Amino acid sequence: MNDDELERELRRAGGLFDPVPSDLLQTAVEAFALRTLDAELAELAFDSLTEPARVRGEERPRMLTFHAPGLTVDLEITGGGADGRVVGQLIPPQAARIELLGRQPAALTADDLGRFVCEVVPTGPFSLRCRLAGAVVATEWVTV
Amino acid sequence: MDRDSIGILFRAAADGDAAAWKSLVEGLSPLVWAVVRSHRLTDADGHEVYQTTWFRLVQNLTRIREPERVGAWLASTARHECLKVLKAARRVSPSDDAGTLDRAADDHTPEQAVIESEEAAVEQERVRQVWQAFQDLGENCRRLLRVLMATPPPGYQEVSAALGLAVGSIGPIRQRCLGRLRVLLAERGVS
Repeated sequence: MNDDELERELRRAGGLFDPVPSDLLQTAVEAFALRTLDAELAELAFDSLTEPARVRGEERPRMLTFHAPGLTVDLEITGGGADGRVVGQLIPPQAARIELLGRQPAALTADDLGRFVCEVVPTGPFSLRCRLAGAVVATEWVTV
Repeated sequence: MDRDSIGILFRAAADGDAAAWKSLVEGLSPLVWAVVRSHRLTDADGHEVYQTTWFRLVQNLTRIREPERVGAWLASTARHECLKVLKAARRVSPSDDAGTLDRAADDHTPEQAVIESEEAAVEQERVRQVWQAFQDLGENCRRLLRVLMATPPPGYQEVSAALGLAVGSIGPIRQRCLGRLRVLLAERGVS
């Protein structure tokens, strides 16, 4: 059997023993509905996880920064799940209504200083839709 | 799925065509899944990376400049998400998920229906042996071959994006890994 034939055989085996789970495929198909046509995208510009590891064993919050033209969203994530929390900051500081999109949707509010808190850490991918005065900004999907 | 059809589907999806998006997802999901599976994450983490990757593409539908290269874009996005998950897991709770790849498929595929017929039993056994031998390969070979196994066969640009390998190094590594697989199969009496 030559290389190409062997690779074809592997492909059959993969399709048989490790196919894309159909429910997962369905979530990707349905994701089309999550298009945010009206929203400006805030791209992930900083993630503390991609920084070189510091002192071993030291538990630090995960820091994420998203940039859109005219708006920065900073997130500080401590712990995980129901025991954790997400503290956010809009820069420049401003009030906003924020929808957390994901497996457990939530409605959050940023105060006049641009601060907001979510008392759980979302499991699974999430995105924040920030409704500002005159604009909507959505953060890039991330999983923490 | 060839580059031209990917480009056409992508542009249609960016213009709001949900059917084109569905075809794109069906056509490129095996590649995204293969990248996820080549990184040995837990099932739960793997599912999240797969979803995050597609959610990201939805957000970037109108921003990607080269629709023909969306396969490589997906592969690269999935890889980076996998590496982040692995890094986070090492920091919080080191766990070995060697068993992850051993689980049987939890879905009924058309291929399964075919091989359930009796005359295909021998063929099924052979494919099982190939799968088993693949899992007994070393980490590096398993990663490369798992990506190459995607349906339709990924291009080297996509493999390069999936694994962070130079395009020129893929051919020789592929040849070496398939050679090792052949040796394992021969040792087990599978020709």
